[in-house]
Amino acid sequence: MKRMRGTKVLAMGMALAMAAMSLAGCSGGGGASKGGTTNLSFGIWDEKQRPVMEAMAQAYEKTHENVKIEIQLTPYKGGEYWTKLEAAATGGTAPDVFWINVLHAEDYYDGGILLDLNDYLKKSDLDLEKNFPEALVKAYNFEDKQIAVPKDFDTNALWYNKDIFDKAGVAYPTDDWTFDDLTKACKDLKAAGLDSGAYPFACPIDFQTWYYPTVYANGGWILNADKTETGYNDPKTQEGIQCWIDLIKEGYSPTANALSETSADAMFEGGQLAMVLAGSYMTPEYTSNDAINSKINLVEFPEFNGKEPNIINGLGYAVFSGSKNKDAAADFALFLGSEEAMKIQGESGVVISARNDAQKYFADSNKDLNLAAYTNHSGEANPLPVCKSVAELYDVEAEALKAAYSGDKTLADVCSQLKTDADAILAKNKK
Amino acid sequence: MQGTTRKKIAKRQWKEWGEGYLFIAPLLLGIFIFYIFPFIQNFWFSFNEVNKFNVATFYGLNNYIEMCKDKELWSALGNTLLYVGITVPVGLMLSLFVAALLNTKIRGTSFYRTIYFLPSVTMSAAVAMVWKWIYNEQYGLLNAAMKAGGFSPHGWITDPRTALFMVMIVGIWGTVGYNMIILLAGMQGISRSYYEAASVDGASGICQFFKITVPMLSPTIFFVMITSVIGGFQVFDTIYMMIGKANTAYRSTQTLVMIFYRNAFDYGHKGYAAAISILIFSIIMLVTVIQMIGQKKWVNYD
Repeated sequence: MKRMRGTKVLAMGMALAMAAMSLAGCSGGGGASKGGTTNLSFGIWDEKQRPVMEAMAQAYEKTHENVKIEIQLTPYKGGEYWTKLEAAATGGTAPDVFWINVLHAEDYYDGGILLDLNDYLKKSDLDLEKNFPEALVKAYNFEDKQIAVPKDFDTNALWYNKDIFDKAGVAYPTDDWTFDDLTKACKDLKAAGLDSGAYPFACPIDFQTWYYPTVYANGGWILNADKTETGYNDPKTQEGIQCWIDLIKEGYSPTANALSETSADAMFEGGQLAMVLAGSYMTPEYTSNDAINSKINLVEFPEFNGKEPNIINGLGYAVFSGSKNKDAAADFALFLGSEEAMKIQGESGVVISARNDAQKYFADSNKDLNLAAYTNHSGEANPLPVCKSVAELYDVEAEALKAAYSGDKTLADVCSQLKTDADAILAKNKK
Repeated sequence: MQGTTRKKIAKRQWKEWGEGYLFIAPLLLGIFIFYIFPFIQNFWFSFNEVNKFNVATFYGLNNYIEMCKDKELWSALGNTLLYVGITVPVGLMLSLFVAALLNTKIRGTSFYRTIYFLPSVTMSAAVAMVWKWIYNEQYGLLNAAMKAGGFSPHGWITDPRTALFMVMIVGIWGTVGYNMIILLAGMQGISRSYYEAASVDGASGICQFFKITVPMLSPTIFFVMITSVIGGFQVFDTIYMMIGKANTAYRSTQTLVMIFYRNAFDYGHKGYAAAISILIFSIIMLVTVIQMIGQKKWVNYD
């Protein structure tokens, strides 16, 4: 009888222990402050930027001895970062400070995940309006509430492979090139005869780096101000897209089909493209690739319709509204926008710091390259068109344009159907 | 008098049951937290509009009504049915064939078993990347072979007509090994004496295979069939990795689970996604019930 009881107690104990273990697996994390130190977690998605973020966190820790910052990295690819962040925010364990981009800002603001930074900004000497490009500050402002400090921005530029130009005997691109110059260079390069599989240029179905810049430069539009209608039917919008399709038709670019398998970046890095458009975030990748880094340079996005086309987009530092250390987290987020932090980030040469006085560090980080091509006209660049249903909108747009890029349908036909579909999505998600 | 004994037994039984439940409690708790509760929540979500942060507002049957009108969803259902309809029978026949070959006394069977099983222990993302390269129009192995053979190259996974079939090949290739191991285990459980008796009677190898191996193996074949059908309806990872959004064959390779994923995680329509998952669940349930009824006609449990 006695032995029985012993086994029973043991069994009960084990059962409870295991149950406790399985529960413990769910919680965990969470920055509890203990003994005067405040632990802050900092969510980011780019491995390449981890060292810079660490350097900035250390700079902050130096002046704030009781704060410990831990970086949490989740890859962006395939939406992992957002999936995890959404689950963590729902469960109340999201990082105290985290990166956010304009595509997700409004949804997260609506979800009540982001802390309103207005009060903190009032008390601090960080003046967003004075120190940052207007488009970036506004991108993170909803109903007059500032929900993030701009971190960096990206614009687009034309990269070229000097070897291919030398071999063909064609003059290098310049900053004052127009779209016609681009077309002419493509023609000359093709006439000179490139290696098999090589092309003068590439036109993938890419909105941010290819057709949105020209759509806006041409006076076209994608979304109206109150985000109820799309502008695909406007002939000016269509001209901004058609110009790239024409380059494919002339044989200056691989087909959009081929580019969906082997990306334009991969082809350029493989020495198969004479020219390519690329966002400033591609710079570290190109310059660290030994196969091409000694023979490439870049110039500004070619002028279109007499304007400097470009799309400016950028990240921000947001604070989790459910953070246990809101004040400390907001203070750290504001520090990340300071002159000191922005200088550390800029000098790394990985991204263009958003702060006006720190933009120059990016161009200075590599004297061999004309990196100023990214910042020369950043003030004239258009922000990405965004709304709550933007992920769906970009998907239907890209899907519809495939038929126009392949030549199966005319762009005008594609766009009129696209407008109907896209407007329906806007209406559905508006309510 | 009688009443007290009954009461006594019941008390004792309760105690026994209690102990039993205590023992399975850790597992039961896990199943409840990770399977049963999410299932109920998902069912509830399918009648709601749910945003990215799990805030639900009641939406009645509207998700299901929208589903009926969603042309993309129906074409994805068509793709999924085609995928299951081809990969399951072809995969099953191939694994049966390979298992039969490896059940003979040839040299290096364990080497071949390892080789065939390899895809099952390789990460599906890695598998998809390698196949993606094989199929690549410009630099792929397949087109290099085509060119060497004098054929013109083809955009295998960008042509909407071929892409789904190319993905099926990867799906079959990936599951043959696992099914083969299960079938092989079943084959080795068949007593040698049946074959000996059959060869004494002069039955050929092929005759033995169809008259002895297949009937004796039918419970195992049935098991493999059920699991393959369920796996087929849930196909996602290889297609997700191989066919990107920019791919021209994107629409023609979309499966139900991909539409579910996009709505839940890209667009933040979690309520609609929940309704899609209920549709997938119902289809799998229905097909499995049909198979369960059908098995009485051909599965031999003696």
